[in-house]
Amino acid sequence: MDGTVIAIWLLRLLFLAGLYLFLWAVVRVLLRDLRSAAREPGAELGRLVVLESPSGEPDVGAGFSLDAVTTLGRDVNATILLDDEFVSSMHAALTYRGRVWYLEDLGSTNGSFVNGVQIDVIAPLAFGDELQFGNVRLRLERARR
Amino acid sequence: MTDGAGALAPRATGLRFARPRTRSREFALLAIVAVALAVGSASLAATRRIVGTDPGPDPGFFADGLALAWYVGALFAAHLVLVLSGRRTDQVLLPTVGMLGGISLLLMERLPQTLAGGLGLGRTQLVWLVISIGLVAVIGAVVRSDAWLRLYKYSWAALGVAILLVTFVFGHDVNGQRLTLSIGPVSGQPSEVIKILLVIFLAGYLSENRPLLIEESTRLGPLRLPPLPYLAPMIAMWAIALSIVIVQKDLGAALLFFVVFLLLLYVATARASFVILGLIALLVGGTILYQLLPHVRVRVDIWLDPFATASGNGYQVVQALHAFARGGLLGTGLGAGLPVVGGVLPIPALHTDFPFAALGEELGLIGILGILGLYLVVIERGLRIAASAADDFRAILAAGLSLIVGVQAFIIAAGNLKLIPLTGITLPFISYGGSSLLASGVVIGLLLALSDREADAPPMTAAGRRWLRRRDRAASR
Repeated sequence: MDGTVIAIWLLRLLFLAGLYLFLWAVVRVLLRDLRSAAREPGAELGRLVVLESPSGEPDVGAGFSLDAVTTLGRDVNATILLDDEFVSSMHAALTYRGRVWYLEDLGSTNGSFVNGVQIDVIAPLAFGDELQFGNVRLRLERARR
Repeated sequence: MTDGAGALAPRATGLRFARPRTRSREFALLAIVAVALAVGSASLAATRRIVGTDPGPDPGFFADGLALAWYVGALFAAHLVLVLSGRRTDQVLLPTVGMLGGISLLLMERLPQTLAGGLGLGRTQLVWLVISIGLVAVIGAVVRSDAWLRLYKYSWAALGVAILLVTFVFGHDVNGQRLTLSIGPVSGQPSEVIKILLVIFLAGYLSENRPLLIEESTRLGPLRLPPLPYLAPMIAMWAIALSIVIVQKDLGAALLFFVVFLLLLYVATARASFVILGLIALLVGGTILYQLLPHVRVRVDIWLDPFATASGNGYQVVQALHAFARGGLLGTGLGAGLPVVGGVLPIPALHTDFPFAALGEELGLIGILGILGLYLVVIERGLRIAASAADDFRAILAAGLSLIVGVQAFIIAAGNLKLIPLTGITLPFISYGGSSLLASGVVIGLLLALSDREADAPPMTAAGRRWLRRRDRAASR
């Protein structure tokens, strides 16, 4: 076979090899990325971020990782302690059922609000919703994965 | 204390100069892209020298080395812009679309340059590619807040419907399809803009109503339908898709819009019943249109048996199948295929609708599997960005943006391969054409912007803002 033809063959195969070299390099990056995501404690189902808290307990900007049932209130036994004079001792609970978060008001004195609207006992939540208990405002965010 | 969002997002929006952050993975991947494209260009030039049927503009060691240098330079310039922006954004998307664009550049340099006036096919495509890569970099570096997208979702939807109506009335018919809209000297394909607006609207609508869509349902026998008031927008979507088929005769855009809509509905609700219902509606609508509209019937008949009309309506599809067959496993090599016979394309619209067939011939099964792999990477990155997004709007938007690129690629690739009826849409980042490249650039740029977890916090809801105002008034009293 003539040299030019062999050179063309080689170049052709090299181009395909380059394409697959690129894919291989990308897949390595993707795998590393997925592994590091799997190593992180990934059991959280959602996050609650504090937007406003006049008493400083919890701190503004703090983020809480949520389990399937999370209670909020002034009581020290509440999962998330909200130290605010307008918050009841066991004010509300966040529960994750199936695919959706729900906010349950546990008979609080001043009520629980979702995006500024007072809820009637229980309400489904979307990620990004803002919750208000007394003077404390929080936002429900998706889990960090 | 008046503005709650301020506590979490103290930084101002807009341009600001952060400390540059190195992106070593992106740089390494771009280096591989540059080497692969240089080899491809050399392969094309060497083949041309001995085949000698198609004298290119520059019979050097590279096929049009200047264009290659410009393109690779644009990729590294985009990399530099992203480094200087100092954001922690995705490092895989830019090299991946860079590879797709480079393959497109090689293909367009290889086809007869007279397919586009002025600069010629390859150079015109180069200009659009560079602008598209520029859009990716600028949007990925600058866009930090998504408030401008989520707060005006109904305005974006209205704009989309308005563009659609304008196209219905004033669009030109090209090959029997009303796809092109000209305003003065500028002409473009409106469906490329509409698909982005659709995803923005769906992300806004679905994220807002997600709990209701999951929670409540209307039972109809064994099927669980969404609650009735929320069914209306879905029926509207279905009607819009059908009207695009009827008025614009654009099967591809209709299929793309409807499939992406169903996928996003599934992403938002995880309800298979909605998807099944949507597919049934699609089949019923498709069957009725098949009976009523001749252009739909022609497409389906070609798909069922292209060889029956091999020199008439089925000509393109038959030629595409021959091209795939000639390519075999490894392909004929760039420049050695037969997309051009005596200066005429055997497949009309090869550069816009059938680039996948041309690549199948010259790069073979191995090559097109690699190209499909690149689209899968785009989808994987999008879904990954969606999974780590802070709230529902960003998650659905990221999923939708990547799916629109991926689904479009698979619809046209499957159409070229005669797996589904052929529909005339573009192969993202590979087909010739400005509208398609610009839209794809915007999509990837937005994905890059969304991949930054340190971007500005989502804006407050309108109800939350009202509540705050009421409370502040009460406090001041």
